[in-house]
Amino acid sequence: MTLTDDELVARSMSGDAESFNQLILRWERPIYALAYRVIGREEDARDVCQETFLRAFRALPGFKGQAKFSSWLYRIALNLCRDWIRRQRRAPVMQMPEGVDPGEFVAEQGPVESIEDLVGRRQLSAVVEEAMALLPEEQRTAIILKEYHGMTFQEIADMQGCPLSTVKTRLYQGLTVLRRHLEKTGRLSSKAEETMTPRLVKRS
Amino acid sequence: MSEIFTCGDHGALVSYLYDECAPAERRAVLAHAAICSACAEELAALGATREQLAAWTPPDAQLGFRVVSDTSNVLRPSRWWQTPMPAWAQAAAAALIFTTGITLGALRGTTPGNRGPAGPAPQQPIATTVAAAGAPVTRADLAALEQRLRSELVRAQTVSQPVAATPADARVLERVQAMIDESEQRQRRELAFRTTEMVRDFDAQRNDDLARIERTLGQMDGTTGAEVVQQRQMLNYLMRVSQRGQ
Repeated sequence: MTLTDDELVARSMSGDAESFNQLILRWERPIYALAYRVIGREEDARDVCQETFLRAFRALPGFKGQAKFSSWLYRIALNLCRDWIRRQRRAPVMQMPEGVDPGEFVAEQGPVESIEDLVGRRQLSAVVEEAMALLPEEQRTAIILKEYHGMTFQEIADMQGCPLSTVKTRLYQGLTVLRRHLEKTGRLSSKAEETMTPRLVKRS
Repeated sequence: MSEIFTCGDHGALVSYLYDECAPAERRAVLAHAAICSACAEELAALGATREQLAAWTPPDAQLGFRVVSDTSNVLRPSRWWQTPMPAWAQAAAAALIFTTGITLGALRGTTPGNRGPAGPAPQQPIATTVAAAGAPVTRADLAALEQRLRSELVRAQTVSQPVAATPADARVLERVQAMIDESEQRQRRELAFRTTEMVRDFDAQRNDDLARIERTLGQMDGTTGAEVVQQRQMLNYLMRVSQRGQ
């Protein structure tokens, strides 16, 4: 019999550590994925994930159940990610997200290398990750919460502490930047390219 | 929610894209996209972008975090000096210390002529201490033990005091010294004799070996000379035979 999050939370609050461990088992992957996508570094994402559950466990007596347990966890994790990003900003040396080659990042601001080379060298996952790294933190977080965690606009607004319309704007702007980057790297074909590039058509 | 979509309404576009809008709004967007190629193209491109995003997967990580709430069961190195020692352990420790002390004292007192009261005496308190094992050790017990130890030490020191030397002992010492000197001289002589003998044997063996080597060399010379003569005779014979043939 599978217990719901609320039931496990209730048991955890009465001192059953095993119930909390079941909650960890259920949510550690999504929380790790969220942390990794937001901060872009595997080791730090693991640390954030661990710290999220540690804080949740300590703060469990104060959890009144106003929000879903998962939303509460996401909020803790996002706060930790934000702290991590602030620390990185204060750091004298900027760290690029894992998998992003700084040289290539700079090169992409100017003329891009050929599509075939890039596609051949990198998997799509890496290209997307690279594109996501270009987004401002708020846009990136909004897209991550929407695309990979299926949150509603309202849930994201609550999580980010902003109006619902701002969430939509962030999503639109973020998607537009991603679209341009994917077009530039050949993962998407742009309309302009389609109209201007002559095509070889096989005659029947 | 508006039922009329206008170009540039990004919010409505996003709502349609994520299918999080009212049916009327959805219809409005679709109706507009049918007549506006720019908006239709943007919707298609953003939709395709979303499809690409699905490919991004984080690397596998070793997670498996667990919490342990009951810290009382967690084993940790205890501070042994803070834990109270049970009575039996105190008694055993006291017995061990006492035995060690008495043994050391007995060893000091066992020089020749000093075997006496210091030997078997310490056995008594050990028996009493061990017999008390199980009962709590009181301060009075420890004080009594200390007193007993002190008295034993005093007795051992009294017994092991040096004895004054007599004239008879001086003569014995002189005689022993003379015997030791004599023995040393004898050993030196013996050593010199054996060394000389060994050198003589060595020289004799060496001379013998040299003579044998010389004899062997001479034999080799003689053999070689005889062979040379034989070969020369053979050559002369061949010369003669060949001259006759011509």
